[in-house]
Amino acid sequence: MTIITRRTALAGLSATATLPIIGAPAFGQTKTKTTVGALRFTSHAASFVAKERGYFDEAGLDVDFAFFQAAQPMAVAVASGDADFAVTAISGGLVSLAQKGATKVIAGALREEPGIDGQKILASDAAFQAGVKAPKDLSGKSWAITQAGSSFHYMGSKIAMAEGIEMEFRPLQKVGAIIGAMKSGQVDGWSIVPHIAKPLAGGGAVHIIGNVSDYLPDYQVTTVFTSKETAEQDEAKSRAFLSAFAKGAADFNAALVDKTAGDDAAEDMVKLVHKYVYTDRPYEKAKPSIVNGAMRISTDLNKASVKDQLNWFSSEGLVDGDTSMGVVVDERYL
Amino acid sequence: MELHVEGLSHAYGPLTVLDDINLAIRPGQILCLVGPSGCGKSTLLRMIGGLEQPDGGQVLQLSPPPTESLNPLTFIFQDFALLPWRSVAGNVALALEHHDLSAGERDGIIADVLARTRLSDFADVLPRQLSGGMKQRVAIARALAVRPAVMLMDEPLSALDAQTRELLLDDLVGLWTRTPFTAVYVTHNLDEAVRLGHSIAILSRRPGRVREVLDLDMPLEGRSLSDPKLAKARDRLWESMREEAQTADRELADV
Amino acid sequence: MSDSDFAKPVTYRGGGFKPVPVAWIGAAFLIALVIIAEIGTRTGIISALTLPRPSAVLETFAELYSSGLLWKHLFPSLSRLAVGAFLGAAVGIAVGVAIGLFSIARSALVPLVAAIFPIPKIALLPLFVIWFGIGEGSKYALIAFGTFTPTVVATYGAVDAVDRGLIRMAQSFNVPWWGIVRKIVLPGALPGILSGLRVSLAIAIILLVAAEMLGATYGIGAYILEAGSLYDLERLFAGVTILSLLGIVVSWAIGRLERRLLAWRG
Repeated sequence: MTIITRRTALAGLSATATLPIIGAPAFGQTKTKTTVGALRFTSHAASFVAKERGYFDEAGLDVDFAFFQAAQPMAVAVASGDADFAVTAISGGLVSLAQKGATKVIAGALREEPGIDGQKILASDAAFQAGVKAPKDLSGKSWAITQAGSSFHYMGSKIAMAEGIEMEFRPLQKVGAIIGAMKSGQVDGWSIVPHIAKPLAGGGAVHIIGNVSDYLPDYQVTTVFTSKETAEQDEAKSRAFLSAFAKGAADFNAALVDKTAGDDAAEDMVKLVHKYVYTDRPYEKAKPSIVNGAMRISTDLNKASVKDQLNWFSSEGLVDGDTSMGVVVDERYL
Repeated sequence: MELHVEGLSHAYGPLTVLDDINLAIRPGQILCLVGPSGCGKSTLLRMIGGLEQPDGGQVLQLSPPPTESLNPLTFIFQDFALLPWRSVAGNVALALEHHDLSAGERDGIIADVLARTRLSDFADVLPRQLSGGMKQRVAIARALAVRPAVMLMDEPLSALDAQTRELLLDDLVGLWTRTPFTAVYVTHNLDEAVRLGHSIAILSRRPGRVREVLDLDMPLEGRSLSDPKLAKARDRLWESMREEAQTADRELADV
Repeated sequence: MSDSDFAKPVTYRGGGFKPVPVAWIGAAFLIALVIIAEIGTRTGIISALTLPRPSAVLETFAELYSSGLLWKHLFPSLSRLAVGAFLGAAVGIAVGVAIGLFSIARSALVPLVAAIFPIPKIALLPLFVIWFGIGEGSKYALIAFGTFTPTVVATYGAVDAVDRGLIRMAQSFNVPWWGIVRKIVLPGALPGILSGLRVSLAIAIILLVAAEMLGATYGIGAYILEAGSLYDLERLFAGVTILSLLGIVVSWAIGRLERRLLAWRG
């Protein structure tokens, strides 16, 4: 007898988060019904491509998207079984869920790569005017993070370590709040994906003072994860998802990252992504943001980077207990 | 102090409640205002005391109030209007606090009026601990404290049970006999009116008009309803009011 | 009428519909729940993901206390709560009394307050950060703002409910305007203001977590948020328990205040 279901408990956990908007389910196919959690970001494009180009159908999956406003509740939704697969950064929360036997990372997704435009290090205009021209100048300054143990925290911490400086980490919960705080000079430094960084810097409110890839080459930014049950007991489904996802990623990389597929393919890709991302903006305005946001998506997992991130959680005291690779990642899939 | 009500009229919207009221309030006497419910007698009293403004007519003060009077026109209310968060002495003090009195003078007045209303032992008691009759005696003490020129009593005994009413009636008679005061006493109770009134004005039902004024030339002390003369006066009043009361009773209380 | 063969007592049918609090049941129920949770989590019927083990929460709490971190978190929270709630309640009472007394204030402010009331104050947090800075200012402002509206509504309701008979009485004794406000309106409205304060302060505690969403490293709210983002259920529950205790303490304190200031109600 289960007195309280996981679902209700987790629903309570994510009570402050926005509820997912789950698309209407389809009926009557023999295909496996699958719910994929996604954020409306370009970094989630591999799933969108796989869906639009029928790669999921080919793999025997009938995919519905559940859209979320933030990565945190999405991880909870996977743990509770409300979504089957999702893509998110390796956060303290994800590690903690893995330790509790709820989730497993099964592949990589977004990653930094030398030569490809990646995440930017930003300084607020106020800090920039006060002399913060390079990451090392952030010594004694404040660094914006969403929450303790988030990827922003990790990046800031690694940059500070590399430069041998101390920074004050300011948890601001949401990217929107961070942007507001950066613009008004309430915080000094931050790192963010290029399609957000560039327009901000273009407006003069913030200044790009470095690249994350200079400090974290091959940084594994996001990973594909699923519930432990699915990873262990439904290997076929997981592999089917990954193969379709990889095809989508390959199309995306060819069109917008490596740009080997030609201008028409790039145009088609932007149009496809625009169905899901920046839907409230006209195509012409959405296009530069989508193009700017293109970073390599690859199911190959950079184990060294993941290991470094796990060690960091442990050494910062953010997560207690076992943070070894095997706890978080289901290595059979790599 | 003598007051004259002259041609006083008042309406609430389209509803005329008082129509051309003329009355003389004679010094040292108690004028009772009786009438069926809703005839506007409480409104009239509030106008006499300056708590409400009439549409027409006026209330004239015929002489300056005596200098020792702190609050010439002083009310006693049906619901006592005691502050529940103040003790008996504190409630009396409220009426004195904004006057230019030394603490000693004030305490002296409070002690005096509490003694006159036989409340000295209850000075520090809160209103909720008192019976209805005691509460009204506190209100009377408070009124006496400001040495009123005219007491305006708005059904002061209506909220009390019959026995308590009887006792308080005796108290009021006793107070007047010791020091005669001027008063307007509003009531719907004819027994009270004939016991306390030197003159009794009967108001008609809405719109309120003075139907007749009955003078009762008998000393207040020793008035008793078993006295045939008083009983007769009471019956006359009732005859005069009966029909009005019956009609008033059937009206929709839709004011 | 009497039929001696039939004599039997009249059946009692007047009971029920009168719940009375039984002193020990509340505590016993709570303890029973905790014991069920403990057994459930120990045996594995309730998974570690669903609910933390109560004993582990207690351990976390003990750790928090012995490491001195409890005070490090509690002190900033308490000072935010004190400053924010005091500002909100004080301005709220002043505005509420003004609405209760002046036609212009009433006409101008009642619609405004009605418009502000339903705004989730959390939604305004980014704006407050711009207005008041990311430091303590925005936290005070959020809590003050959240406490302000319910206090205003409770206060002007309480002022409206003051017995007009008492005011008329005071006028009949020529008590000056300010004296009427001070001696009649304010004490008469006090019960309503205090019960409004009970709600306002509970809201202040709720908003504490929201206030500490932005830029707070220490504070009970920040502690809970961090525990939530790390899915650390033990810390989450320890933090939530502290908030509950805070709520009980505040409610108890107002109860004391009521008994002191409103002794006249008996």
